[in-house]
Amino acid sequence: MDALLTKTEELVVPTKKKISGSEALLRSLVAEKVTTLFGYPGGAIMPVYDALYGYADQLTHILVRHEQGAVHAAQGFARVSGRVGVALATSGPGATNLVTGLADALIDSTPIVCITGQVFAHLLGTDAFQEIDVVNTTLPVTKWNVQVTEAKDIAPAVAKAFYIARSGRPGPVLIDITKNAQNELIEEFEYKHCESIRTYKPSPVLQISQIEAAAKLINSAKKPYILAGQGIILSGATKELVEFSEKTGIPVACTLLGLGGFPTDHPNYVGFLGMHGNYGPNVLTNDCDVLIGIGMRFDDRVTGNVSKYARQAKVIHIDIDKAEINKIIKTEVAVLADAKEALQSLIKKCDANKHTEWIDKFRALNEIENEKIVRKEFNPSGELVMGEVIHLLSEMTKGEAVIVTDVGQHQMTTSRYYEYKKPRTNITSGGAGTMGFALPAAIGAKLAGSEKQVVAVIGDGGFQMTIQELGTVMQYKVPVKILVLNNNFLGMVRQWQQLFHEKRYSFTEMDNPDFVKLAESYRIKARKVEKREELQSAIREMLEAKSSYFLEVVVGKEDNVFPMVPAGASVSDIILEAPTNV
Amino acid sequence: MILYADNNFSVLNRIINILNRRRVRIKKMMAHENEDDFRRGGVVMLLFVTPDLMEKVKLQLEKLIEVENVTIQEGSAAYFEQSERIVDVD
Repeated sequence: MDALLTKTEELVVPTKKKISGSEALLRSLVAEKVTTLFGYPGGAIMPVYDALYGYADQLTHILVRHEQGAVHAAQGFARVSGRVGVALATSGPGATNLVTGLADALIDSTPIVCITGQVFAHLLGTDAFQEIDVVNTTLPVTKWNVQVTEAKDIAPAVAKAFYIARSGRPGPVLIDITKNAQNELIEEFEYKHCESIRTYKPSPVLQISQIEAAAKLINSAKKPYILAGQGIILSGATKELVEFSEKTGIPVACTLLGLGGFPTDHPNYVGFLGMHGNYGPNVLTNDCDVLIGIGMRFDDRVTGNVSKYARQAKVIHIDIDKAEINKIIKTEVAVLADAKEALQSLIKKCDANKHTEWIDKFRALNEIENEKIVRKEFNPSGELVMGEVIHLLSEMTKGEAVIVTDVGQHQMTTSRYYEYKKPRTNITSGGAGTMGFALPAAIGAKLAGSEKQVVAVIGDGGFQMTIQELGTVMQYKVPVKILVLNNNFLGMVRQWQQLFHEKRYSFTEMDNPDFVKLAESYRIKARKVEKREELQSAIREMLEAKSSYFLEVVVGKEDNVFPMVPAGASVSDIILEAPTNV
Repeated sequence: MILYADNNFSVLNRIINILNRRRVRIKKMMAHENEDDFRRGGVVMLLFVTPDLMEKVKLQLEKLIEVENVTIQEGSAAYFEQSERIVDVD
């Protein structure tokens, strides 16, 4: 057609149509292949919501009940799908309600983009209605943030935001857009994706010398040990990790966020790391000769007392984030790279080997834990215990559901007993430990299009922190399954009070509402279980339900999670039961 | 410490935020826009910090999206030399 135009005709092509900054934003989101937004409207974001009305065929907007719900839902969406989650909020309190989720996404490396409305540019700094300095408020909890005051800058900011959120070590980005920029008209444009930023180098180039140094250590090791973190999942390196472990015969333990990155039924899998992790993986950290941390950051919940952590071992640390190297643990060999790329190279450079006796040592220690703790939790008498509920859930879903946990005893129990088989099936709040995370994150996880069962496992405390999102479940008929383990206590804090504060239960007991009636008032099918003989049928009913389902299981009030590395202790001083004096 | 960065709004806040989190004391500081290109700039700081912590803080500063590079020199003489150079340009 163009070829048929004469030169004169080309010149009289009408000038481009004008669009508003708000429409520029939505077009940019569509160009970034965004399908779902989680948000809550308000004064300073109204022009965007007005434009959104006309984009219903391209963008699905989920109206949450609180902005914290929006950001956690965006996190759940991102963690399950690997895509960037998007949340929308207004200025002032709308924006500050995002702060917890941003902090959570930063420490747990979750790619999300939050868009906040802001007062008119000429009112900035005047204490205008619902004006809060959001860029400075969210500065320490974002990978990057920016304020946009002109419509022409919106699309480039979105492009940059998505690039930063998803590249390198992923993280949250916030764009604060003043109302005048949302209203302002600009000429239509062609969206340009951001492919590089001068001062930002997200993907370090793999240095073969680092790989060779690592391979040399690994090849000569007698008791090598892999600690796998979320980096495995983020870089999609499960296949490579399995291949590497199988070739070299090295045992693998997973961090909290690394669960799912290596199949729990693999013969080289030795367990879950950390304060409430398995016995073998913790104790033998102080026995291995080469410790290989991959895509993990030696969090204090993993290391216990750092001065007594793996002192005998030579440490190889593979991570994409340069600032993680030598931050906590002195590294012998640092491999600055994407986990997948590093493992592909290491597989080639490392010799085939077997470490059967070494792996047996893990098994022997884990057997002590099985004897003292696990078997009792799976076959208890008396009140229901969390362990048996999760064990049953794991068996009945064959370890293949997406499990979203909150924070506390139920989270540790789930991490210990749910037998994760695949990456992106374990969604939890790790580094930040955000109570209230699970319900909205489960909504996001389900709306990311997961065909799998999505089960939110939550304690009675955390559930009530974002309980209002039951409204979102109701309105959008989100078929999530909500399993509340109710001990009428803030259980983990109570456990610490029992063990370390002479049983002074200071403000941890909770008088709870009738959760079943509450869920039913949101038109969610609900059931409460207090007896062991009803548990299996109730879980089955929950899993078979086509729509959302709420199941409350009443568990022992004063049960504890063991093993436990007491605060300040070494990982090898992990305890299997409460000291006799408590 | 000599740091070069894009001269965006709030970049100085980002830098100082990292130092605050690590409780690194700033003894002297000079921030500037580049003479030849106002979109770039930098900051020279005299910090009270151990070499070990400085190395960790340097990596965290370089992680900031807008920060181009950070170099560390020991002693206050380096600070005066660098900051005088900036004043001379102005």
